[in-house]
Amino acid sequence: MKILEAKETVIALAGNPNSGKSSLFNALTGSRQHVGNWPGVTVEKKEGRFSYRGLTFRVVDLPGTYSLGAHTEDEIIARDFLFSHPDIVVNVVDSTNLERNLYLTLQLLEMGASLVLVLNMSDEAKAKHIEIDQGRLSTLLGTPVVMTVAPRKEGIPELLERIVTLRGREPRETFRIKYREDIEEEIAKIEALLTLYPELTHRYPSRWLAIKLLEGEKRILQEMNRQSFMKHVFPQVEESKKRLIDRYGEDLETIFANQRYHFITRLVQECMRRKGEEKGTYTLSDRIDRVVTHRFFGIPLFLFTMWLVFQCTFALSEPLVGWIETLFTFLQEKATFILENLGVADFFISFLVDGVINGVGSVLVFVPPIFLLFLAISLLEDSGYIARAAYVMDRLMHILGLHGKSFIPLLLGFGCNVPGIMATRTLENREDRMITMLVNPFISCAARLPVYVLFTGVFFARHQGWIIFSLYLLGIVVAILTAKWFKRYLFKGETSHFVMELPPYRIPTVKGLFIHMWERGSSFIKKAGTIIIAMVVLIWILANLPFGVEYASNESIIGKLGTAMAPLLAPAGFGTWQTAVSLIFGIVAKEVVVGTLAVVYGVGEEGVGEMVRQHFTPLSAYAFMVMTLLYIPCVATIGAIRRESNSWGITIFALGYSLIVGWTMAVLIFQVGQLLGFH
Amino acid sequence: MGESISLSPALENYLEAILNLSEKNGTVHITDLAEYMQVAKASVSQAINTLVSLHMIKHEKYGPIEFTLLGKREAEKIREKHCILKRFLVEILQVNPHVAEKDACLMEHVVSEGTLEKLITFLQSQLQEPLHRERGIEKMSKAQVQSLNELRPGTKGKVIRVAAQGFIRRRILDMGLVPGTEVSVEGVAPLGDPMEIKVRGYMLTLRKSEASHVFVEVTEYARS
Ligand SMILES: Nc1nc2c(ncn2[C@@H]2O[C@H](COP(=O)(O)OP(=O)(O)OP(=O)(O)O)[C@@H](O)[C@H]2O)c(=O)[nH]1
Ligand SMILES: [Mg+2]
Repeated sequence: MKILEAKETVIALAGNPNSGKSSLFNALTGSRQHVGNWPGVTVEKKEGRFSYRGLTFRVVDLPGTYSLGAHTEDEIIARDFLFSHPDIVVNVVDSTNLERNLYLTLQLLEMGASLVLVLNMSDEAKAKHIEIDQGRLSTLLGTPVVMTVAPRKEGIPELLERIVTLRGREPRETFRIKYREDIEEEIAKIEALLTLYPELTHRYPSRWLAIKLLEGEKRILQEMNRQSFMKHVFPQVEESKKRLIDRYGEDLETIFANQRYHFITRLVQECMRRKGEEKGTYTLSDRIDRVVTHRFFGIPLFLFTMWLVFQCTFALSEPLVGWIETLFTFLQEKATFILENLGVADFFISFLVDGVINGVGSVLVFVPPIFLLFLAISLLEDSGYIARAAYVMDRLMHILGLHGKSFIPLLLGFGCNVPGIMATRTLENREDRMITMLVNPFISCAARLPVYVLFTGVFFARHQGWIIFSLYLLGIVVAILTAKWFKRYLFKGETSHFVMELPPYRIPTVKGLFIHMWERGSSFIKKAGTIIIAMVVLIWILANLPFGVEYASNESIIGKLGTAMAPLLAPAGFGTWQTAVSLIFGIVAKEVVVGTLAVVYGVGEEGVGEMVRQHFTPLSAYAFMVMTLLYIPCVATIGAIRRESNSWGITIFALGYSLIVGWTMAVLIFQVGQLLGFH
Repeated sequence: MGESISLSPALENYLEAILNLSEKNGTVHITDLAEYMQVAKASVSQAINTLVSLHMIKHEKYGPIEFTLLGKREAEKIREKHCILKRFLVEILQVNPHVAEKDACLMEHVVSEGTLEKLITFLQSQLQEPLHRERGIEKMSKAQVQSLNELRPGTKGKVIRVAAQGFIRRRILDMGLVPGTEVSVEGVAPLGDPMEIKVRGYMLTLRKSEASHVFVEVTEYARS
């Protein structure tokens, strides 16, 4: 096994959340990983390759962990990978926060990892007058230490050199913390027993294993329980545990954590100096926080920020959308003209102009608002505000049956529900995670925006912003009620926990912002590019079959399908076969709803408005938007739910539930609206 | 519930009794305890087993009962509360000492924990005179131990115990809140819940329900 892969050296990037692992990954591999300034951005391990001096390296960017005693999903991913013996572990450490960061370092060293310690954010440390004696730290820990500023690639050449030197070298002697005498005694007793089983000590250092057994590390215990010979070891472990508990009056977890932190305190005293600044002074970041988390200003500021995000998204994108529309109308005319002159068959012209060009147009029109929205979300993430938002909102979210951290997946959901659902992994508690995941589709993603823009533009031109806002709000309200209901009846588990770090504010780099915007935006376009255009073309074809029918008439396949469904939608005020068809295709991707309407009404993008005006009333238009907001999530979202919940049962439940909620709400709004005299 | 190691009133009484007896006689046996508390030996054994499983005391069969560090601290805390209540009743309200003894007991176990904690803090400030009659108390009242969630922004202190259990305990320890660590309370979220503390040079937020498991020896009170 090992021999086959000998050419490739596996490097694991490990470290506390938000220490700069992904930035370093990008610096090493040149690939654009998502980088953000709130703990828990990387929720899956990501891999990349690079070569240096003719050697190939495989780098694995792990989710952040505070320690190896994992309890969240992403921490488990990181721990399991680290336990699987990567060749080299690059431990990325935030230099401004050595004390806490070194806790993981100690655990990695105790495990016997071939480790390079990277003191990242050394620029920030310098600004804070923190001086670290690199050489001393390296001697005391017995491991190479490199200083870096990952986003500026400072220190990367040195890091590469260290990695090359370390490669293939057996770790000399494993690093050891000297625990108190009586603890060492017990460790030695267990170790003595463990060394009787070489098959075990080949895999793990015996001292480390002894410590983990004392600590009661779950994964290791599980693994050890499977070994029959461990029954000779466990009694000693129990005895040692009992003795230490009696002596210290604390449990073993505390004893070890305590000892490690004491070690670190001494280490830091010896290797780190804070100049100029006194201990008690507050940084700019702290002072900003006094306002952002202020008793009176905190929440208004939060709401204002959210409002700003959406206003900017729409106001700034408006002119761009106009230009794109004009451009495509022009293109369609020109293409028709040229193709007709060339003598191309009508059927084919229609295919190109009404199908293909129209399809591309209906995608591009929505690119500006979506990119701007992602830009805004990236700005919140990179600056560090988003962690404050979780802190400010936790009480409320907790009352609503969610968690402060649920807020982040929900916010991402405004961009696209898929990353939103992926981000639920940072939640520690399964109940919290499932609920956040299941309510996420009710958060109005950017792909639903085209429908709102179209309908509000036609019927509510003067109050467009407010009507759209009301839809977002409705989505939120439904999500909240659902969460409360689920918490109450479906997941009656224990309440969750909230222990979260507030990272210091950072000024986002323009490059970073645009990278994020581009990554998320382009993945949206990719989805759009493939699915939407394919769907628009498919609909065009279905609208023309069987041969000879009038284009997109109710004689066509698509028309028949819609006709069958229309009566079900009638109570909601939009019981026409055209709307039924557009909703069916909306399941594939919500952004095709408008494109579908264009095709089934037999008009181009610019003509949809007029057709909508003829077929809808303001009330039924609103009901239709509500339906689009709430009914079955798109296929990509369904896939994400299936993957993250790891259960078809939950996925199917999510589908059925949202369909019922969507239909009921649409009907309710239409019927009640009529009673109140709206039309 | 179930997470904190809050003891039942009966167990608290046992701990206090063991403390009193051990100070009087040096060693404590089940028989003495049964006699002192006027209950059957069987029920004493049962309570002792529970206390052993909670790591409060150590006890070998037929051997003497001994405190663990944790148990001793807990017992002293319980007795301190008891004494302060009793003193309040006797010294300020002029209640008959016999009645005060009984009533203090009742009050301790009927009032909710949070209220009691606050009441004790308040009474302590009222009863200025140090207590000389009972050993150990003076020391405890000097070192103000409070749970983290009760501290106002600006308060500084040192962690002395993390009483949370299971996974939340692990997380609290991992984040560096181990006994001996200095903490300062920085603020509370606008809606009053998660609180923000500074620990090991960084900002940590946690819910008050979680902070209530962290006991802090206050070194500097909030100014105002
Ligand atoms: N000033 C400065 N900022 C940095 C440095 N390295 C990373 N950052 C910033 O720190 C933030 C977090 O960086 P990431 O690379 O996402 O951190 P991570 O360790 O991958 O975080 P998780 O995936 O959440 O565990 C980003 O805003 C980066 O731009 C550095 O050396 N100096
Ligand atoms: Mg990352």
